[in-house]
Amino acid sequence: MNDMVLNADEPANILVVDDTLANLQLLVGILTKHGYKVRPAKDGVQALSATQIIPVDLILLDINMPEMDGYEVCTKLKSDPKTRHIPVIFISALNDVLDKVKAFGVGGVDYVTKPFQVEEVLARVETHLALQRLQNNLQLKNTELAQTNQELANTLNRLQATQEELIQSEKMAALGQLIAGIAHEVNTPLGAIRSSVSNISKYLEEIFEDLPRFVDTLSAKEIQLILKIALCSINNKQLFSAKDSRKIKRAVTRELEEMGVPDADTIADTLSDMKISEDIESFLPILTHPDSTRMLEFAYNLSGLQRGTNTIETAVERASKVVFALKSYAHSDQKNELFKTNLIVGIDTILTLYQNSIKHGVEVVQNYAEIPLIYCYPDELNQVWTNLIHNAIQAMDNKGMLTIDVTQERGFAKISITDSGKGIPEEIKDRIFEPFFTTKPPGEGSGLGLDIVRKIVKKHLGEIEVTSVPGKTTFTVYLSMNLQPDSSS
Amino acid sequence: MSKPVILCVDDEAVILESLKAQLRKALGSSYVYEVAQDAEEALDIIDELNEDDVSILLIVSDWLMPGMKGDEFMIRVHQKFPNIVKILLTGQADQKAIDRAYAAANLHKCLFKPWSEKELIETVKSGLEKL
Repeated sequence: MNDMVLNADEPANILVVDDTLANLQLLVGILTKHGYKVRPAKDGVQALSATQIIPVDLILLDINMPEMDGYEVCTKLKSDPKTRHIPVIFISALNDVLDKVKAFGVGGVDYVTKPFQVEEVLARVETHLALQRLQNNLQLKNTELAQTNQELANTLNRLQATQEELIQSEKMAALGQLIAGIAHEVNTPLGAIRSSVSNISKYLEEIFEDLPRFVDTLSAKEIQLILKIALCSINNKQLFSAKDSRKIKRAVTRELEEMGVPDADTIADTLSDMKISEDIESFLPILTHPDSTRMLEFAYNLSGLQRGTNTIETAVERASKVVFALKSYAHSDQKNELFKTNLIVGIDTILTLYQNSIKHGVEVVQNYAEIPLIYCYPDELNQVWTNLIHNAIQAMDNKGMLTIDVTQERGFAKISITDSGKGIPEEIKDRIFEPFFTTKPPGEGSGLGLDIVRKIVKKHLGEIEVTSVPGKTTFTVYLSMNLQPDSSS
Repeated sequence: MSKPVILCVDDEAVILESLKAQLRKALGSSYVYEVAQDAEEALDIIDELNEDDVSILLIVSDWLMPGMKGDEFMIRVHQKFPNIVKILLTGQADQKAIDRAYAAANLHKCLFKPWSEKELIETVKSGLEKL
């Protein structure tokens, strides 16, 4: 009965309790005439049992009754959860001492004194019925509200979970795109390593073939000279561009021809591969020897062992860098811990991942000031750099200039990423950080990138700004240099 | 008559060095081995050598280089020197580009990095035999 809605259309149920039959009849008559459904009860016992059986919206309760007076009946009504809510209006006779305090104390909501005015009784009854109706409605609305709140809370949780899924899938999608380019970045060093290994093998083969013969047929001085040529090659660490090497080769060819060395251009080529361009006169005894070809080749093979290992070392480092960059990027960031990090290393790691796109025609300018290590969330920052660098390269259609500036300003690390693309139109500039806002066709980017970036930047107590004119768009990220991990650790 | 030339083109110095050394060891001193670090440089060398009446027999080139890519380079070469044997040696397969090279430049073969010495030398020899 508690959840009964007092419909304004349905007549209310009123219980009238009075031990005097005449009073009962009078009230029942008045109320019935006024459209209420009325039930009489002649004492407390009848009243209490009635409330258990039939729906009651309001009780008119006589105070002065034998055995159980009105106060007792009301107390009993209020102590039963089933009947507690029913408004009770006490009826008292004029010459009864109406203890108003007691009346309200036991839970009555109002009283009428006999003789009563019909209008007054009706007015009070209607008022309390209306009040009860409103209270019921309020309770219903509260229940609805609580339900809606719960649904909202559930939806919010689902949205948050979905957002995290989207962030993760965004990361994976970007990762997928990178992998194609990375295959090349790893295959190239592998190619250099494999061919160097094959070369070293060949050199060793020939060294073992030639060495016994040389030991037998050559003088100690000649052998020493061969070794000297090899050492000369190994010690010369200068790097020349292909163009410069050709120039030097031509000069050496001329020099050799002038010295009367046969097969000058072939020898010049070999010397060039050995990075030897000076002191050639000292090698003349070898170069004019009948067995000069094999002797020079021996020196070439010996020094080739070093060249090969150098190549392998360089290539391994390159491949490691790329794998490291990939690992850093794909690393799951559930740790959510502040880590003292070198921001510049982080940015360069991401640049490594984009070597491929960069080689397609992007010039990279890096202006890095010295900044201290700062506490930050390095995995999340990786996402920031990836996002901004990726956007920059895309905006330029893989051709143009990418400038990265790192400085510090008033307690913030300041990182600017500038591209030479066509720029962001004024109208959408304010919207680019909105979640799900994207200018790409459907299927190409969720539009979450910059929203995620901004959230991460804010997590670092920082800010992100953008300025853009056609030909120069700059995203500037400020990161607080004053984040500290929990001192509780 | 000067020795014919085999030209290697790759923007990565480590590749260029080891590739030339490999070819030089396998094919010997009957050829001159030239190197270039991008397509533009390679085209300059080709023109120079042509002016000096030196014949270029074969080109081994990377695909992904700054500036002109390998397929465009091969097509350009083919337009002026259709008889040069052309081999692509690439770390990344842009299939469309490779198909273009086959179609418009009469590409002899496309090899992938990392390559085996055996495969490279066999390919080069089979290409030179065609001449």
